[in-house]
Formats: sequence, C-alpha cells, structure tokens
Amino acid sequence: MIKLVLLTLFGILPFSLFAQLERSLANPNQPVELIFHAPRHINLLTVEPLSEKSMHFAIMHTFGTLDGGVQNLFGLDNGANIQFSFEFALNEKFSLAASRSSRDKVYNVFGRYHIFQQTQNGSKPFSLSLAGGAGVNTSNYNFLPESAPNFRERSSYFGQVMLARKFSQKISFQLTPMMAYFTDPRPIYQIEGTEQLYIALGFSGKLKITERSSLSLQYIPNLNTNLRNNFGIGWDAEAGGHVFQMYFVTSQALNEQYLLAGGNGTIGDEFRLGFNVNRIFATRQKRK
Amino acid sequence: MKQLTLFFFFITNISIAQTFLTESGNVNFLSTAPLNEFNGISDKLNGLIDLSKNVLDFYVDLNTVDTGIGLRDKHMRDNYLNTDKYPFAEFTGKFNAIPVLTGSSKIPVTAIGKFKIHGVERQIEVKGTLSKNSKGEILLDAGFDVLLSDYKIPVPKLVFYELAEKQTVAIVATLKPKKQ
Repeated sequence: MIKLVLLTLFGILPFSLFAQLERSLANPNQPVELIFHAPRHINLLTVEPLSEKSMHFAIMHTFGTLDGGVQNLFGLDNGANIQFSFEFALNEKFSLAASRSSRDKVYNVFGRYHIFQQTQNGSKPFSLSLAGGAGVNTSNYNFLPESAPNFRERSSYFGQVMLARKFSQKISFQLTPMMAYFTDPRPIYQIEGTEQLYIALGFSGKLKITERSSLSLQYIPNLNTNLRNNFGIGWDAEAGGHVFQMYFVTSQALNEQYLLAGGNGTIGDEFRLGFNVNRIFATRQKRK
Repeated sequence: MKQLTLFFFFITNISIAQTFLTESGNVNFLSTAPLNEFNGISDKLNGLIDLSKNVLDFYVDLNTVDTGIGLRDKHMRDNYLNTDKYPFAEFTGKFNAIPVLTGSSKIPVTAIGKFKIHGVERQIEVKGTLSKNSKGEILLDAGFDVLLSDYKIPVPKLVFYELAEKQTVAIVATLKPKKQ
C-alpha cells in the first residue's frame, strides 16, 4: 500500500510541481564565516580559519601608558612593543606560525587547528579550534653578575582552546581557556608573575557597527595568580584584504605567554594604545 | 487502483518527456572595474527546460561561487550577497517563442522571466542560443547583465580590489533529457 501511495505521489508530483526545481544547498552544512574579522582579535587568536595556502601577516604594536598625558603623547613616546607574526595555512584546518615580539626579544612558533566550524543550519552551534606553541627569550643577559639563562631556562609554552559563536550578523563571542608555562620565570624577564604556570580564561566580543567595522572587546581574568586581569576595548575596520585594529589595552604584551604572565595596568589611566594591521595574502590563485 | 496509479504515472511522465535537466551548468560572473577585473565561477548551476510547457527554471547556490581568493569569497558571501539569508540566484521564466531544435544548429532564443538575487526579484530578458547534440542533450549558452544596485547590493566606494557595479553573467550548460 505504501508503495502504491508513493508511486501515486511521484506520478502526480511532476504535474503539480513541474514548474520549479526544488532549491537545495550544495553543502547543507555551510559554515558560518567571518565570526571575527581576522585570525587576531585585539591580542588573542581567534577561530577564524585561513584559506588553504594563504598567509596571514600581522604587525601588532602597543605603546606606553596613557597617564603620561600629552607630555609623552599619551604613551607614544615611551616606545612600542612590536610583534611581527606570519601564519601560513597548510590546509583549511591547520596553520603554522612564527612571531617575534620585541619585549624580551621573544621568538614564538605555534600552530592553530580548527576542529570544526559553526554551521548555518545549526548542526554545529559553535566553532572549536586549538592553538599551542613554544617561545624563547633571546635578550642578552651577559651583563648579569650571575650566569645568563640557558636556552631551556629561556623557553616558555602556551596552549589554548577557542570556542566561538556568531550569535547574529552583529554579535560574535569567543571563550578562550588558556595556559602558559615558563621554565624559569626570572625577575629579570619583563613579566610581573613569579609562578611557572598561568591559567586564564579569555573572553572576546565583537559588535558589528557598520558592514565593515566593529567594536571589539577583550577580557582575560587570571585564574591562578593575583595579577590584574587584562582588559581591552577597540575598533576593527576592514578594508579589502586588510583589517586594521585600534584598541586600548591594559598590557603591553603581545604574545600569549607574556599576556598571561606580564601583568596589567589599571583600566583607564594605565591603558595603552594598541594598533594591529592584519593582511591576508592569497598565494593560491588557482581555483578548486 | 494499481492500474489507475500506473496510468497516472505514465501519463504525467509522457507529458514531461520534453523536459531537460542539469545540475552542473557553468555560471560566470565577470566584474570589470577600472582598477581590477575578476570573475566568480560556479559549476553547480541547476536548470530545467521544458519545451512542451514552455518553462525555464534555473538556480545556483551562491556559496559555490569561487573567485580564486578565499578571503574575497568570504567577503562576497558575508558582506555583499548575504548568502546565509539569500543563498540562491534564481531565474524562472519562459521563451518568447518555443524554439524548434533541429540538427546541431544554434537557434537564437529570448527568454523573459523573474531573476532573484539578494532577496530582490526583477523582471528581466535573457538572450542566448540553444542547440541539440547527437545524444539528444540541449546545449544552452546565455548571458545577461546584473546591476548590483538594482538588487540592493551596496558597492563600497573604498575597497582594495574594486568591484564593478555591472556584473556580466554568462551561462553555459548541457541539459540532459529527463529519464523516463
């Protein structure tokens, strides 16, 4: 009987619906894209993936504290911490990166892996990515009366999980449980913390104001130290292949380990002006 | 009862024997701006031509349009076409006059109908050619222009790669006879 009904339906279907093809998506699990404007959001890495064989280049700066006033041009006179960061996507899921920040002359290498992406049909309600890496402090400590730290003692590590969701066209949010580990956190290093292990929970928010710009927020409470928590607020602007990020933040640190161990100023007076330029280079011009 | 069903089944299918379908037509959106020329290509054009009932129905999933640069594709989907809300570009219409396809000669045809993209529907006229190959398939070649402002797709004044207000759309497809 069921067969008969089906046969009848299929027989009559062309009669009633012949005029239009049924619209169906080529990929029903189409990912939600541009949860954030770039693979960086103020200081934190995001779940935003790179296309295969494309490269993300970020130049990041943070200046001195605002409390010097106009005499120090709101911290710009105090010299910047600058980080250059290159990230290359081996495929749609995995990218490798190297960065160098001037504070303690730290070289970092890290990877970012996207476990899955939020989908438009809701089959995946959020995006989940991992990042982790290792760094080495290459400052010259020969002036010290005691022996300079060796390579192992200069090393530090970080790992983090990124969980993000685009709640609407306007609002995106990311939760980033993160940790950093210093093999030998010496007082001479430009960090405030004295512990080896740092655990924190990063919050990143994006509120889209125009089609190509957003208000950005960052809050990173420390979970196992008494250091002040990191707070940042800024403005992201997209222009073609560039994303410009201007922000006020409580720390001068730009890499993950120093963000957690570096300490923070108070919100307001000890805000520092920060500025990132993100550029995506497409090396693969050939189509799929 | 069974005979009646079978009767309906055959009757309806005989009546659409003049139906041709494709799921892999080629669409090319060409943007020629003063500073930059690029094109977006999809080979996932779905189409139906019914020569007996004079029906044309085509659609393409805009998520499949590839401009060759991943970030540009994302911006196209997210900032311009809003494919999460409006995933398809669609055309539904009919021929001004039903063409008679004989041999392999290209017959010029004109179709009128509704084109819909970005949630905006407009009446358009499309010119092209049809021909039939030895396998009984229909070869379609057609083109038309789309003014982005007609479909409420804003073009920013300052973008790194310039985007043309007028997009030239070209369609090439081979439609197979619908299986009985």
